[in-house]
Amino acid sequence: MKKRALAILAACLSLLMVLSACGGGGTDPTPANTDPATSGGDVASEPVTITYCNFNASGGNEETLQRMYEAFHEEYPNITVEIETIAMDDYFTQLQTRIVGGTAPDCFEMNIENFAAYAGMGALAPIEGVDLSGMDETALSAFTVDGVQYGLPGNFSNVVLVYNKDLFDQANLEYPTSDWTQEDVQKAAEAIRALGDDIYGYYQPLTYNEFYKACAQFGGSLLNEDKTEFTINSPENVAAAQMMADRVLVTNVQPTAEQMGGMGDWDLFMSGRLGMIPTGIWAFNTFAEGCDFAWDIAVEPGMEQKATHFFSNACVVNEASENKEAAMTWITWLCSSPTAAEIRIEAGWDLPAINDEEVLSSYLDLTPPDNREAVFESLDYLVVPPVIEDYALMSDIIGQQLEAAAAGTVTVQEALDAAQAQCEAQITLG
Amino acid sequence: MRKKKQKPIRGQDGLLTASPFLLPSFIGLAVFSLLPIVISFFLSLTDWNGLDRIAEAGFFAEHFVGLDNYKAILGGEEFWRVLLNTLVYIVLYIPLMLVCSLAVAYLLSRERRGVTAFRIIYYIPVLTSWVAASMIWKSMLSPQYGAVNNILAIFGITGPGWLLDENWAMPAIVLVSVWKDMGFFGLILLSGMVGINKSYYEAASLDGAGAWQRFWKITLPLMTPAIFYVLIVSLINAFQLFPQIMIMTDGGPNGATQVMVERIYKYGFRYYRMGYAAAFSWLLFIIIMLCTWLQMKGQKKWVNYDT
Amino acid sequence: MIRKRHLSTTGYYVVSILLAVVSMIPFLWMISTSLKSRGALMSIPIEWIPDDPTLSAYSEVFSRFPFLQTIGNSLFISITFTLITLVSASMAAFAFAKVRFKGSGVILKLYLAMMMIPTQVTMIPLFVIMNRLGLIDSYASVILPSIFKPFAVFMLVQQMQSIPNDYLDAARVDGAGIFHVYGRIALPMCAPTLATLAVTTFMESWNDYLWPLLMLTDRNKMTLPIALSTLNGQYNTEYNVLMAGSLISMIPIIIIYLCAQKQFKNGLMAGGIKG
Repeated sequence: MKKRALAILAACLSLLMVLSACGGGGTDPTPANTDPATSGGDVASEPVTITYCNFNASGGNEETLQRMYEAFHEEYPNITVEIETIAMDDYFTQLQTRIVGGTAPDCFEMNIENFAAYAGMGALAPIEGVDLSGMDETALSAFTVDGVQYGLPGNFSNVVLVYNKDLFDQANLEYPTSDWTQEDVQKAAEAIRALGDDIYGYYQPLTYNEFYKACAQFGGSLLNEDKTEFTINSPENVAAAQMMADRVLVTNVQPTAEQMGGMGDWDLFMSGRLGMIPTGIWAFNTFAEGCDFAWDIAVEPGMEQKATHFFSNACVVNEASENKEAAMTWITWLCSSPTAAEIRIEAGWDLPAINDEEVLSSYLDLTPPDNREAVFESLDYLVVPPVIEDYALMSDIIGQQLEAAAAGTVTVQEALDAAQAQCEAQITLG
Repeated sequence: MRKKKQKPIRGQDGLLTASPFLLPSFIGLAVFSLLPIVISFFLSLTDWNGLDRIAEAGFFAEHFVGLDNYKAILGGEEFWRVLLNTLVYIVLYIPLMLVCSLAVAYLLSRERRGVTAFRIIYYIPVLTSWVAASMIWKSMLSPQYGAVNNILAIFGITGPGWLLDENWAMPAIVLVSVWKDMGFFGLILLSGMVGINKSYYEAASLDGAGAWQRFWKITLPLMTPAIFYVLIVSLINAFQLFPQIMIMTDGGPNGATQVMVERIYKYGFRYYRMGYAAAFSWLLFIIIMLCTWLQMKGQKKWVNYDT
Repeated sequence: MIRKRHLSTTGYYVVSILLAVVSMIPFLWMISTSLKSRGALMSIPIEWIPDDPTLSAYSEVFSRFPFLQTIGNSLFISITFTLITLVSASMAAFAFAKVRFKGSGVILKLYLAMMMIPTQVTMIPLFVIMNRLGLIDSYASVILPSIFKPFAVFMLVQQMQSIPNDYLDAARVDGAGIFHVYGRIALPMCAPTLATLAVTTFMESWNDYLWPLLMLTDRNKMTLPIALSTLNGQYNTEYNVLMAGSLISMIPIIIIYLCAQKQFKNGLMAGGIKG
């Protein structure tokens, strides 16, 4: 026992000696993931290895991404990409520590919420020297700061109105069209609600994401045009939030949290007890598998104007990377090459943000839903989230106030006034 | 803890004897605890966003803001609200946890058939990771489709909305935490209970004391060192309540389960205000230290070291 | 008298079984969920026992990542972590409890104070330190913090303080060195506490998620909780797969607990007799 304990102690001590010797030097560490020998080298002639970090492939699309990489590697045999896939929940925590520690990957994925913060800190390299002509312009413009392109749209998703055809038939209603407004939605929702005690018309939770979109539909917005002031409690925004709250608390065409009973909104729709739900196109595969009734989609109805959600993740290059050129080559290929786009569509992952109609057309051939054109039609009305550096803080403040309004503990006006005051107090707009 | 505290070995003195034993953990203390803590204190005096490189020269001069973070936190409403939420958790959690783990310890101290099986079963929640446990409970606490309310319905009770209800969310977190921790603290109390000298019970039995009386008059007073230890550890843990909140409620509904560490994490890693988060955690540290100090002060009044 | 004893036996088992049921229900729920197909997850009313049990969630878990390698990594890290903690903490505890030296009280309080700092904020400084030491992406970065676990020290100090000095003095009189006293007398007398600590430390290391995630970026060094987290998608969660993965990840801990369990019991019994 004694001998063993001593041996372990000795081992620990020697290990520590080695460590403290390493630390004593205090030399500036080179990022662990780059090989200095190949830094800044010519992409075509010298083999390079870069790392690419992403969250979008987690939960089932790792293999799809790997297939894309293999196709890329055939075209560019000198560029080896090490792909790291991390779940969304902790992706940004990990990325943040790695950026501070100087060990961030050469290129990585960013969501729209965090993009501005990272670009503002100078953590991202401007995208230069690559061909952007194949990419969707609206999507591209979402990732510029002061006119500089800092990210390429890797994919996009948008939101459409999904409806249960059977419930519409039972209530003798016309199916939604792209001419509908929120008033038509309300009428249809009430008719469907009347079909049964546990059948609901519509589901659009009073969350931050739904709110900024509804504001746009009513002609409002969270920030003034040059993003110097908050306009959270403007009359348009109050009207938008009021409509959403009333659907739960007054007409009850939408279930309350208790009526939902902790069930997911998709699950409610798939159980056949919900008439309409505005939701992302990423739901199609799940609905196709899970619904035993007929369903279809339409462009989401607006009010003063139409406004539909648009979500996109950007591929960005680390400013501190020593292989920027290779990293740009890889993300450009990943975001805009027809080969990558085809693999993406074939796997039913999400849509590539490209403007090549021919490649996209294969997406339209898949059913259900029959009316897939609505996905592209919706793009004409898209709203981009009001991106500011303190995006996460702003969305949490507003979200929390909306939650109180949805529960009925405060009025909509009070909630938005409070949100406005808190945002003004805590966030300095640039 | 089961016997009177023994003085250190006589004739043995000096750092010289102690130092080889202390060396490994001392190096760990310096490198992995003290140094990061000191750095975090300096960060709490800055407006660092958590993204800029901190290793570079001139960092501190550029970002120094003095005590601004502390002033902003103490002057705002949020800190006090979140502190209150944390205290609500502690006030509900500690007594309930103590009663449950005492029950566990008492049941396991009887030498009955099946006691080994019970010991294993009670400890299984302790072995689960918080991530897995929180996910299971989240689905079990779903008001209409979860197991809990469906079981209550059998007895004719309509369960509340639990995690979705502002008033029930924190109690729900407390229940889950007690479920997870009672086995652990139960076993610690058990080791205190088993150590009690049997002769005390024999004497009491001769005097005609019943089981209940024996528990109150002998077991409980003689277990106070173990109980004290459980209180210290559980209070520190309770202030650092975090993973269950993140997975089950994320601070909601309507901020009802926002607690200290949840705020620290959000400010540091979601809102990119690392300096502010560091100041927040230093305030938390001071509060925990005060509470522990008070407990240590108070222990003479009720902890019984004379077995 | 006999009737009363009978009643208390009934009472004992009623309460014990009730507590056992409460402890176990979530696991039965977990097992039941993991055996469901994707579709059955959403059925109403809930299926307590899946109508059509399937192992598809388990095969899904095995197909998503190199399972054996991941388990191997986790085992290696957790076992080393636990051993280092036990050795380092028991040595420190021995010094605090049984060696008289100046400042011992203050240092012990310092150890205790270290338990009170939330890890979320020391995380970034610690990351920077690890980077300086050149340890990023090495197992050492995850294992080395085990050398300082104040909770373990605190627990063992309590235990060692209760060892009667007569035992130790007797050994000293026989001419045994201080290391001998530590290894041969103090350690065995802490066996139950060491067993408890071994289980909790192993569990802590096995389930640790955030720190390994930050430290180990190489896919081949990935630990089990990190691998499991990749089962979670951005938009939806497959509970059956998640539960299957969590269940598999619990098996090693339960085995270790069952092994240590004997030690637990023996230690408790020994303590009882001595007291």
